[in-house]
Amino acid sequence: MKQYCNIDWKNALRLLCAALCFSTASATAQTSSGQLTITMNVQSSISLIFQNNPSVGTPGFCPLTNAGTNNVGLDLGTASFPGSFHTSACVNYQHVGGALYEVSSAFDVVVSKANSSSPNYRLAAQISTAPPAGVAWLINNVTLSNTAFTTLDATDNYFGAVTKTLQVQVKNNVPTQVLLETITFLATAN
Amino acid sequence: MLNKRKSIRNLTLAALLLTGAAAPAQTTGSGVINATLFNKNGISLQFDTDASGVTLGAAGTSAASANLGTISAFGPLSGGVTRPTVTAASFTVRTIFDVQVVQGGLASANYTLTANLAAVAPTGFTYKVDAVTLSTAAQTIQTNGTYNTDVAHNLDLVVSTAVPGAGGPAVGTPITATINFTATAN
Repeated sequence: MKQYCNIDWKNALRLLCAALCFSTASATAQTSSGQLTITMNVQSSISLIFQNNPSVGTPGFCPLTNAGTNNVGLDLGTASFPGSFHTSACVNYQHVGGALYEVSSAFDVVVSKANSSSPNYRLAAQISTAPPAGVAWLINNVTLSNTAFTTLDATDNYFGAVTKTLQVQVKNNVPTQVLLETITFLATAN
Repeated sequence: MLNKRKSIRNLTLAALLLTGAAAPAQTTGSGVINATLFNKNGISLQFDTDASGVTLGAAGTSAASANLGTISAFGPLSGGVTRPTVTAASFTVRTIFDVQVVQGGLASANYTLTANLAAVAPTGFTYKVDAVTLSTAAQTIQTNGTYNTDVAHNLDLVVSTAVPGAGGPAVGTPITATINFTATAN
């Protein structure tokens, strides 16, 4: 009779422990965690975009292509001195003196700032290449140069639209050609 | 008499030796190993670099880092960092990172991912993972994460455009935050 009650207590204990461990592990939801550390450095910045003036489409306010960005196009059409000829209905055309005509169109410049305590900004512009003899490019009656930025405004307000008029003045002795300039505007935080 | 005794002793020894030599030699040995392995179930979580995001430091571990470099509303950004939105009040920069949760021994079909900020967000910052705004309390990011594969998540930092001292973030100094992630088997 004794031999039937001969229990291996060591193994039994081992099995019990395993069973307990298993049941504990099963009862608790399994989780795992990790940490992601993020590092960055904030810098103040400003941006400049060109926008169509609210009067766009009326004489003196031609539409910009790609408006709302900092890289736009402005087509002033074809013009000539005799007969005040001009093909674009959205430009202003006028004779200046007896031997010069001017084509112009206005647009808006908007400068925004972020994380900056700058109260305002200054605005300057520069043309990309020297214009042919007898041709001048102006912004609000200020002649532009291709050798340096020309200051247009000293204290413009952020976020407000600043209307600028691009003028091209051509003497009546300038031969037929395409007049093309890339005008860079530079806003600098004060 | 002494000789007789010696003879008896020698005979006895010889008999004993002979008896021993005649017994079968023991050429085998045996034993048992009672081996036990407790195969424990469990899950693990690790961060991996996403092809569209910044390269993580210590990628492949559960304690990784993401350096977004210099961020701004309008200036250039580091590779792997994008700027989905810019408004007058704030701008958002984004990177993408992967979370991989591996399970073993579970009948669980998927997992739930939660996240929380280790500390209150620095002034001027809001942290989001997959558009879920984080706080120091755990927020559920995903309820059906797939095991054993990289799952991409968007990390968005919404940064106030205000100046420092007026609700905006510190400018020109490194800012660090830690996000705790927890995966729980479903």
